[in-house]
Parts: sequence; structure tokens; C-alpha cells
Amino acid sequence: MNMYLHELKVYRKSTIIWTCSIIALIVLMMSLFTSFSKDAELVQEMMHNFPEAMQKALGLSTLDMTSLLGYYGYLFTFILICGAIQAMNLGVGILSAEVREKTADFLLVKPVTRKKIITSKLLAALTCVVITNVLYLVAVIIRISAFKSYEYSMKLLIMISLSLFFIQLIFFSLGFIISVVVRKIKSVLPVSLGIVFGMYILNALGSAIGDEKIRYISPFRYFDVTYILENEAYEVPFMIISIVFVIIAIVASYILYSKKDINAF
Amino acid sequence: MNVFLKELKSHRKSLIIWCVCIVLLIAMGMTKYGAFVKTGESVEEMFEALPDAMKGIFGFGTLNITEVMGYYGIFFLYFVLMATIHAAMLGASIISKEERDKTVEFLYTKPATRNKIITSKILAAFVNVLIFNITTLISSIIIVGAYNKGESVNSDIIMLMGAMFILQLMFMFIGTGIAATTKKPKLATSISTGILLFTYMLSIAVDISDKLEKFKYITPFKYFDAKILISGEGFEAIYIVLSVVIIAVFSSMTFIFYKKRDLNV
Repeated sequence: MNMYLHELKVYRKSTIIWTCSIIALIVLMMSLFTSFSKDAELVQEMMHNFPEAMQKALGLSTLDMTSLLGYYGYLFTFILICGAIQAMNLGVGILSAEVREKTADFLLVKPVTRKKIITSKLLAALTCVVITNVLYLVAVIIRISAFKSYEYSMKLLIMISLSLFFIQLIFFSLGFIISVVVRKIKSVLPVSLGIVFGMYILNALGSAIGDEKIRYISPFRYFDVTYILENEAYEVPFMIISIVFVIIAIVASYILYSKKDINAF
Repeated sequence: MNVFLKELKSHRKSLIIWCVCIVLLIAMGMTKYGAFVKTGESVEEMFEALPDAMKGIFGFGTLNITEVMGYYGIFFLYFVLMATIHAAMLGASIISKEERDKTVEFLYTKPATRNKIITSKILAAFVNVLIFNITTLISSIIIVGAYNKGESVNSDIIMLMGAMFILQLMFMFIGTGIAATTKKPKLATSISTGILLFTYMLSIAVDISDKLEKFKYITPFKYFDAKILISGEGFEAIYIVLSVVIIAVFSSMTFIFYKKRDLNV
């Protein structure tokens, strides 16, 4: 419990900053919708005239940008990037901080098992992620309900927004396993930025060139907005991949960290 | 000279990783160009009919994506994003890592002035950035050349890489400037990449809405637009001036503030 509270305190400030900037970002971007939707109907017509191969290649086959949720879904990618970086930072940082700050020997000689240490740290990080998501969800619902003249489905809005949580979980556990495997991480940000942006660019390229296989590598389109809007559901195979990945990563972290040779100097 | 060589050596591995990534990225993007271009010329006409806001949001602008250079121009933004992240993190960490890794007292008790040490460090970062840029340039020329059927586009690529180099320098100096001024050396990388992400998101917002037009002077990502550069209009004088000013301000900030810095031991 002590460790849990201490970690929460350590990450309080960064969680507040991340949450505020993510909310500010979506509020700002959504307020551009009205000026954007003026062009909307004209565009809509044109889109249907595109050859199908072209539509697919551009990745805009069904994402209806003229609707509130379509536009939100497009912007959501940027929210995902921010969220992924936050989660990855947490994941990479929370265990490796002890070695980096040379506090590992202090912590590990305390009468607690390593498993317990991992559990409290995991829970603390999870709490930060959950807080971010809850606040984000509330902010988005308030912001979008301010558009009175547009119709949208609340269920879909929540489903899209909730995928932020899943993406964060994936990146968090990826970061966590990396921090356990790598002997010593000198600086968190290059690792997490590199991986998140690598995945993002991979996904952007993948959808621009219409390559479906890339989807399995980069989590950014595991929860495809187009698919959610169309089917009111998440895609089952990607859902399974995510769950399996998160579980494997966390279990492996427990096993590996219990045996890890901790660098105390 | 010693510091310079030492820095080059310690950043060698990460530079190689970055270079390999960018080459792979270019290769991946261009391999699909062949398949993409088959959708034919009718697409081109439709693109021209699209309203500006719509083009902005997909990042096409006035680029003709059925031409090899137009296609390359879209990916240019991603190259720039990668290159500037590399530059900003490099600039921030090369200055702040001595304090972070607690090697600062070792280094600054050596018989060399702070100015001299900072100069060597910045030179080392400069060489890294330059190598990254040249790698991108050469691999672009080779890979794009392989897909190009029309006239040579090498001069366009060189111009784009020139623009990328200015952006890289700008963010490198923003990184060093922030590392020299912040009280907490650990935050230097986070703050500089935060600025980078903020300006990147801002550039997207400017693309979406006309109302934000004025903000294009704040975000460096709007200074060198691939569509304008390729269309033959070349660099705009005002942006060159702005870039030089930014670079001058942040580089002098680095030297002035670092000289008086209370080093964290």
C-alpha cells in the first residue's frame, strides 16, 4: 500500500499534465468541426465517385467525415498517439526508475517480495491510466453534446473513446515488458517516443497503401473507427490479440523481474 | 576535440538505428507506389475538385499523388516528423545527460571552459543531424529514382531535404536551449518533445481550419510546405528569416544560460 501511494504521488503531476493536454487537444480540434462541416456535403458526393481502389488506398472508404462521429473518429488518431506515449512512458518508467535513480537497492532490501513491488507499481500505473480515461470520456461527452444540431449515437461515441483505454493498456504492457527485459534504461522518453511514433508511422503508411498485414503489427488500428461505426462492435481477432498480448506481457514481467539481476550501481 | 569524438561515439548506435528506420520507411512507402499509380489519371481530376479543407485534412494539399514526387511529398511530413524528433531529443539530451547520469562533476572539473565543451557537444549533435539528413537524401534519391518514369526529380528531393535540415537544426537548438535553461535536467527531453508535438498538432489544426491561418507562423512544421516547395515556388523568404531567428535565439540562449548554470551534482 505504501508503494502504491508513493507511486501515485510521483506520477500525479505528469498524469494531470497529460490529461489536461489530451482534453485540450480534443476540445480545440472539435471546435473546428463547424467550419469543416460547411464543405461537408459537397465532399460527400464526390467521395462516392472515387474508384473503389482509390477509396481503399486512401483509407477513407467508409469514414464519413461529414458526420460528427466520423470527424471525431479521424481526430481520435491524434488522441491515441498522445495516450500511447503517456502509457508507454508509465510502462517503461515505473520499474526502471528504481535502477536509473539508484534507489533499487533501497527498495529491494525492504521486507516485501518483488512480486508485491510489481503489483503495487502496476496498480498505481493502472490507476493513472484509468483516471486519464475517465476524465477524457467525461470531457468528450460534454464537448460533443454541445453540438446540438447534429445527431450522433452515444453508444458509439463511448465505444470509440473507450478504445483509448485498450490502446493505452497495450502500450503500457509493451513498455513494462521492455523495462523488465532491458538491463538498464537510461532515459525513458526516447524509448517510448521511438516505439509509439514508429508504430504510428507504420500504421499511417499501411493504411495509405492499403496493406492489411501491417494492421497486425501496429496496435493503432486494432480498434478501427470505421469498423466500430459500421458494426457497433470491436473487431474480434484484434480484441483477442490485445487481450492475449497484455496478459502474456504482464505475466512474463512477473516471472522475469523475480529473477532479474538488478544493477545497483 | 576529445569531447566531440566521445559524443560522436556515444551516439553512434542510436544514429545507426534511426538511419536504418528512415531508409526502411522510405523503401516501404515507395514499394507501394507502383501499385497505387495504376488507379489511373481520372483520380487526378477528382482531386482537383476537392475543397481545400478536405485536402488539408488528408495532407494532400495541391500535391498530385499519382506523380512520384507528389506521392513522395505526402510522406515528406512523416520524414520530417521523425527527423525533428531525433534532432530535438538529441539536442536536449546531449546537454542534459551529464547531469542526469551524474557525470557532470567529472566533465566540468576538466581544464576546458564551459563554452568549449558546449561547442563540441553542439558540433557533435550537428554532425549526427547532418548524417541523418544525408542518409535520407541519398536513400530517397535512389529509391524514388527507381520508380520515377518521367523527368528527374533529384533537385526537388534536394530542396525538400534542405528544408528538412533547417527544421532539424531548429529543433536541435530548441532542445539545447531548453536543456540549458530548465532547472530539472531530467525534464529537458520531455519539454522539447512536448513543444515539438504541440507545434505538430497545431500545424494539423491550421490545415483543417482557415480561422487559424495566423498560427502558421508559430509552428515550424508549416514553414516549409512540401506542396509549395515542389510546385517550383521555392522557399518563402519570411519563413527563412523566421527559422534563422529561431535558431539564433535558441543557440545564443544555450551558450548564455549554460555559462551561468548552477549545475546539479
